[in-house]
Amino acid sequence: MADFSAQSYRQPFPFLDIDPTMESLTQFAELNPQSFILDNSAFNFQTFFPLSINDSLFSNQASEGETMSGFIHNSNQSSVSAQPIFSAKTEMEEISNKRKALDISESSSGNSSSTSPQVSETGIKRRNNSGRGKRAKSNEKEMEKPKEVVHVRARRGQATDSHSLAERVRRGKINERLRCLQDIVPGCYKTMGMALMLDEIINYVQSLQNQVEFLSMKLTAASTYYDFNSESDAMERMQRRQRSLKD
Amino acid sequence: MNNPHHLNPTSLKSRFTTRFLRALTKIRAQKPISSSSPTEIFRRYRRIKVAADKSMAYSVRSRRIWSKAMLWKLRSRSYRRQDPCSGRRSGKTNQAIMKKSSNENTTTRREDGVGFVEEADELRQLVPGGETMNLCNLLDETAHYIKCLTTQVQVMKKIADFYSF
Repeated sequence: MADFSAQSYRQPFPFLDIDPTMESLTQFAELNPQSFILDNSAFNFQTFFPLSINDSLFSNQASEGETMSGFIHNSNQSSVSAQPIFSAKTEMEEISNKRKALDISESSSGNSSSTSPQVSETGIKRRNNSGRGKRAKSNEKEMEKPKEVVHVRARRGQATDSHSLAERVRRGKINERLRCLQDIVPGCYKTMGMALMLDEIINYVQSLQNQVEFLSMKLTAASTYYDFNSESDAMERMQRRQRSLKD
Repeated sequence: MNNPHHLNPTSLKSRFTTRFLRALTKIRAQKPISSSSPTEIFRRYRRIKVAADKSMAYSVRSRRIWSKAMLWKLRSRSYRRQDPCSGRRSGKTNQAIMKKSSNENTTTRREDGVGFVEEADELRQLVPGGETMNLCNLLDETAHYIKCLTTQVQVMKKIADFYSF
C-alpha cells in the first residue's frame, strides 16, 4: 500500500481509510495494481470529500458488503470474460478517454512507463467491463452528475446511463423492503442472501396459513361440541375451566 | 374475566375480532349441526375458514392489493356457488381480472433482472393477487399480509382457547 501512496502522491486516496471493505479493495488492487491507480487519477478531487456521507450509507450496507465481497472477487476475476454489457457508448467511455490522456501523461512517475499505455488501456477497458457488468456494491465512489434528478450515488466502477441508474434505484428499494421483512419474519439472519431470505419468508407465510386452517378446524370442533351438548352443560364446563384457570 | 385485548377500537385486531365473532355467531345460528357426518363438519369448517379470510379482507378493505384480490376471489366463488347458471357474472369478473392482469403486463416468467424468479413465483402463489405484482410491490404486500395473518392467528387462537374445553 505504501507503493501506491508513493506513486499516487498527486492523487489523494482518502477513501482508502474510510472504506470499510478495504479487503475487497486491496484484493482488487492486487489484481491490477497499475490500472487501479490510473483509473482513479481522473476523478475529481472534490468527490473525495463528500465521502463522509457515504459512511452512513455504508454502515447500512456493511452487512451486504460482507456478503457481496465474495461476489465482488468473483466478478473481478472474471471481469475480462463475458459479462452482461450495456450500450457501448456511454458517458463512462468519454470519461475513460479523458482519463487515458491524463494517465499517459502521469504514468511517467510509475514503474514501467513503456508498458503503461497498454496497461492503462486494458486496465480501463477491464474496469469498464466490470463496471457495466458488476451489480454488486463494491467500494463506493461518488461521481458528480449535475444533470441528474434522482440522487443516486453512482458507485465506482458502475455505469451511469439512465437504465442502470433506474435499475439501481429499483434494487435499492427491493433491498430496503427485504430488510423490513427481515425484521418481521423470525429466523432471518442478516448474513443470509436474498434467496435464502425469500425461502424463509415463503416458509413463514405457509406456516401462518396452515395455522389459520388448523385454528379454524379447532373452532369447528369446539362449536360442534358446543352444539351437541346441551347449553347448560357446556356453560358449566366453561365456568369450571375458567375458575381453574384463575387459580 | 377481563381481557383487555382491544384497547384501540380502530385497530386491525379489534376490527377483525368484531367481524369474525359476528360471522361465527351467524354460522352457528344458521345451521346447528344435526348429525356428526364428516361432510357436515367439513362444510362448517369451510364456512368458518372463509369467514376468517373474509373478515380479515374486509377489515383491510381495498387499501391493499392482496385484500382486493382476496375479496374478488371470495365474491366470485360465492356467486358461483349461489347461482350455478350465473356464468355470465362470474365470467365478467374473470374477464375483469384477466384484463387487469394483461394491462399490467404479466408474463408467465417474470424476469425482473434480479434473479430470484423461482422464489418470487412461489411467493406470488402464496400471496393473494400476487401474479399481477412486480417484485417491489410483492415484497410490500407480503409484509402487510404477514402482519394481518399474525393478527388473525392471534385472535383465532384466543377464541379457540376460550371455546375449547
